[in-house]
Amino acid sequence: MGESGTLTRALVELNEERVLAAVNERLAAGEDPLAIIKECNEAMVEVGKLFEKKEYYLSELIMSGEIMKGVMAVLEPLPGEVKTGAHEGTVVIGTVKEDIHDIGKNIVVSLLKGTGFEVVDLGVDVASADFVAKVRETGTKVLGLSTLLNFTYPEMKKVVDDLSAAGLRDKVKVVIGGAPCNERVREFVGADYYAPDAVAGVNICKEVYGAG
Amino acid sequence: MSDLQELFARRLGRYQAAIALEPADRMPIACGSNYFAEVYAGNTNQETIYDAEKWLKGEKAFIRAFPEVDVLRNNRIWAPLYDAVGNVTYRLPGRDLPPRSQFQFVEKEYMLPDEYAFLIDNPGQYLMERWIPRVLGDTAPPGSARANMAFLKGGMAQMMMAQIMRNRSIHLQNELGMPQPMTGFFLAPFDVLADTLRGLKGIFMDILRRPDKVLAACDVLVPEMANLALANADPFRRNPIFVPTHKACFMSPKQFDTFYWPSFKKLMDILIESGYTIRAYLEGDWGPHWHHLLEMPKGKVLCDIDNQGDIFQAKKDIGRHQCLAGGVPDSLFILGTPREMRERVKLLCGTVGADGGFIVNGGCNIPYDTRPENYRAMIDAVMEYGRYDENVKPAPRQERPDAVRAAALKPQGMLTPWAVRSAELGGVLGDEDLVRRPWEMLESMGYNWLWQWVL
Repeated sequence: MGESGTLTRALVELNEERVLAAVNERLAAGEDPLAIIKECNEAMVEVGKLFEKKEYYLSELIMSGEIMKGVMAVLEPLPGEVKTGAHEGTVVIGTVKEDIHDIGKNIVVSLLKGTGFEVVDLGVDVASADFVAKVRETGTKVLGLSTLLNFTYPEMKKVVDDLSAAGLRDKVKVVIGGAPCNERVREFVGADYYAPDAVAGVNICKEVYGAG
Repeated sequence: MSDLQELFARRLGRYQAAIALEPADRMPIACGSNYFAEVYAGNTNQETIYDAEKWLKGEKAFIRAFPEVDVLRNNRIWAPLYDAVGNVTYRLPGRDLPPRSQFQFVEKEYMLPDEYAFLIDNPGQYLMERWIPRVLGDTAPPGSARANMAFLKGGMAQMMMAQIMRNRSIHLQNELGMPQPMTGFFLAPFDVLADTLRGLKGIFMDILRRPDKVLAACDVLVPEMANLALANADPFRRNPIFVPTHKACFMSPKQFDTFYWPSFKKLMDILIESGYTIRAYLEGDWGPHWHHLLEMPKGKVLCDIDNQGDIFQAKKDIGRHQCLAGGVPDSLFILGTPREMRERVKLLCGTVGADGGFIVNGGCNIPYDTRPENYRAMIDAVMEYGRYDENVKPAPRQERPDAVRAAALKPQGMLTPWAVRSAELGGVLGDEDLVRRPWEMLESMGYNWLWQWVL
């Protein structure tokens, strides 16, 4: 693989300088930006796997995301379509209304993107109506509800109930996750899955979409 | 001793015995953050943090309804102080959240990555000149009339809040025999950086990009946090000092051992040497890290185990060395039934709580939305299954008048040390100490005022 291996390795090892140097070198050599992005994405999948194996933690995940941002800042202004096209499926996700915590959600988003999912991240403090509208608009098969605060149980239930009222409940699997969640909370909310951690959340998305 | 004094002594003694892993008549009912208390009494969360009278009234009503409670709760926030200075690190119920909602921390990069050198070189000056104007919106732009007024109001509000806290603790002691679960607070040095200075994203890039700076900053923060904690702690050393931990649960064991633990341990050692105990909220899953608590002196750090931590494993790993609290999932308080609660408490009392050194609790708190019947069931079950030795009459432990200023504690920083002022004056004509002491006391109070905003 020669040079291409260098880029992958540098990104997996989170060596920011070497990543950017490799990207610039390959651009200078006239390589297609799409090929470079594809390789970076593969490296990100590798980072996700290291996170699953608990060799990498949140800091490495954040750092890899930052390095990717730097890479895209170089590549995106270039002509041509940089989106990689094919993906595993779409996941809509957000932290429910009145809760502004996003660490857990962001971990899941980062892993999902690394695995090849198209992620629609609605952010924090998301109203039920916005979840419902986005589910309808995207036709997603998975909706992820994130929370840190235990007073949001009724709010999560409201999202599920509103999906039913909108006639969308049987079209989408609802996954809940976050510190105060467990099976009993899932039952109360009426969700399909409870994800005890970020990796479990990603595996649920894979299962729903029938992906590897 | 009056009945109330005796009740106070018994409750405090029971709580202290649990922390010290010593015999008692029963397990204490001793949550540190009972969010349910004032909600049960009918307050909105806005009323509790804005109206000191309603707060106290709510607490009294709760104690009368649940007289078995041994220590009630802590509350650091009296919202008018936060408003006086335009604090931006919290969203508050009734102000920017619905009145019954819960206050929430707003994390941002309030310190820039290139500011480490300034922070390390002169932390007090750094806070005042760079950081405070960012986290206390009304103090910006520095020097404006509004900014000056904000500091004036902030200092006055601080004195009012201190008065409210003092009143409240005296009322609860004298009228209801109720002690406090903790007094004073601090953060682990790493969390100071990771919460309100650099934020989670910033700090986690810093430990990869500029690890030496992070370590140097953690070291500098040890005396700052120690002095803050000691300034706000109970002078009688009855109650533990409170430390919520925030970012440890996101770190690898290696990162924790390198960046989190060494300065945290140094800081806790200083407080323990000064005669205090500590109540630490081990937020998230501390399973990979909590073995370090074995390095602290026995019975000095009460550890609240969060919902994600395994309470049974915690008991095995550290529970014979430090007192533990926890074991009841938040969801059981909110969605469970009294029967389920009873079963859970029975299990906890028969296992992790069998030999003392254990407090039945939620994950670091009792949730706002707790069903009253579930809380009642928790207490009843502790009364039934949490009995130890009826012959032991719990009494407060001897205070530590012998405790000295820890040798490792550096003196507190000052923005304008007396030496500077004295030189300006060209010396004083009378007794210098009479002028110096109050000068330093007020400098110190102002200095602590700055640091409290890291929480």
